[in-house]
Amino acid sequence: MSLRGHSAIIGYGETEFVKYRDSGTRSNYTEQCDAARLAIQDAGISKDAIDGLIAIPPLDQKVSWSMDLAEYLQLRLTFLDNLYFGGASGAAGMLYAAAAIDAGLCSTVLLVGGSTMDPKRMFEFGSEVATPFERDFDTIYGPMTDNSAYALIKQRYKHEFNATDEQIAQVVVNARHHAAKFPNALLKKPITAEEVVDSRMICDPLRLFEIVMPCTGASALILTSADRAKDVKRPPVYLLGGGQSIDRGMWNPAYGRDQSLTTSPVKQATSKAFDMAGLTINDMDFAQLYDCYTITVVIALEDIGRCEKGQGAEYIEKTDLTYTGSFPVNTDGGQLGRGQPYGACHFMPIVEAVRQLMGRAGDLQVKDARFGLASGNGGSMANECTIILGNETP
Amino acid sequence: MLPETEPFWQAAKRHELVFQQCRACGQRMHFPRLMCHQCLSKDVEWIPSAGRGTVYSYTIVHQAAHESFASEVPYVYAIIDLDEGIRMISNVVGVEPAAVTIDMPVKVMFDDVTPAISIPRFTPA
Repeated sequence: MSLRGHSAIIGYGETEFVKYRDSGTRSNYTEQCDAARLAIQDAGISKDAIDGLIAIPPLDQKVSWSMDLAEYLQLRLTFLDNLYFGGASGAAGMLYAAAAIDAGLCSTVLLVGGSTMDPKRMFEFGSEVATPFERDFDTIYGPMTDNSAYALIKQRYKHEFNATDEQIAQVVVNARHHAAKFPNALLKKPITAEEVVDSRMICDPLRLFEIVMPCTGASALILTSADRAKDVKRPPVYLLGGGQSIDRGMWNPAYGRDQSLTTSPVKQATSKAFDMAGLTINDMDFAQLYDCYTITVVIALEDIGRCEKGQGAEYIEKTDLTYTGSFPVNTDGGQLGRGQPYGACHFMPIVEAVRQLMGRAGDLQVKDARFGLASGNGGSMANECTIILGNETP
Repeated sequence: MLPETEPFWQAAKRHELVFQQCRACGQRMHFPRLMCHQCLSKDVEWIPSAGRGTVYSYTIVHQAAHESFASEVPYVYAIIDLDEGIRMISNVVGVEPAAVTIDMPVKVMFDDVTPAISIPRFTPA
């Protein structure tokens, strides 16, 4: 059984990303509905063609969010899901949608996420969704939401592989380099590795510019069967492979288990994705990697097979990962360059992969891109999903 | 407090660090559960830890996520590997944060935060 080439993305939409304080009258509803509208218009289909919905509930919304959204948009559906497991939900949602289409449960799925959320309330939301076990055995020790979890990962990584802060900071330099040219990005000012390393310490060894800035925005995509995709106005982007892997607790890295902090489930997820696609890392023309923190990208580059374990920091330092380089990464600036609207960030790597593969990346277009990888990362590198996309079926 | 976690906190109040071990398969675990996550036996017992271990990883928190920790910064939030094979989250205290290192030997201490609650933290061994 495989989903290879059975379904295709025919359109996408993203609202303008703005800082929370500039959100004005924008709400969780307006964000997700606006991204949905843009994606439907982009695909050139009628709203009534949508019969499946996968939505990401904003952190401050109840978990029946997708039903409420369907009501707001007056959708008539035969398939509905509500994914709430962090940044892997977007890529995983693509797989679930593809499986549902393949099984005949529905024919065209709208996938959407995004929110307007006060960053000051992050801890409050984290506490609300914490399990009683997290409260008893983690929260009492003063974690700083995701920041402290990723700081533990970066600290261990530096220790095991003698990586330097300057090498890892190059992730931000690349992100800002792309963001400077990307229209819908909040952090357009170019930055040097030195400036990153000199920025304010938040959770040692993670500094301010290594951490995403929460913001307001939404992203949406439309997935349909490969057969139906032939009828849309522009060439589609095929879903060629995907894999998901979960092997640890959501927030406590390795809590109670002996999993490595420096080898992540990205490895298994990506291996499954390549197996399904019948492709390898050498076939990839770019990677759009979930980049909530610098260290996430370093470890992901190793675990997708682009370099050996432990050499990610050196690889980033010595390789041109810009859109004109030998292996373009996060060509829209990623979350470190664009800002992180919760829920939209689940789809951002996929939207950028589609933008590239449709040849619509403008000043940041990767020349002759045919195949690309997009990843989603939930919790503290706990829940991973990788998908492989292509503008042709190999 | 859940039935799973109550014995841990009762022991902590007595300044004892305990964790669970499965009588059926010998699996050790933390956080506590009503059944063994390895063999699913419900025959699990509490056994004492000597309270010694090493720092597996740590971070120095410079900006508290919640006001209740604001007066504590900078403080060390860490993963501790106990000698008994248990991995737990805790704090490393009684030492300058900058002096903490990975693999540093540590031992447990109990912080009596209220008459009813004592929290296990770690100091350099």
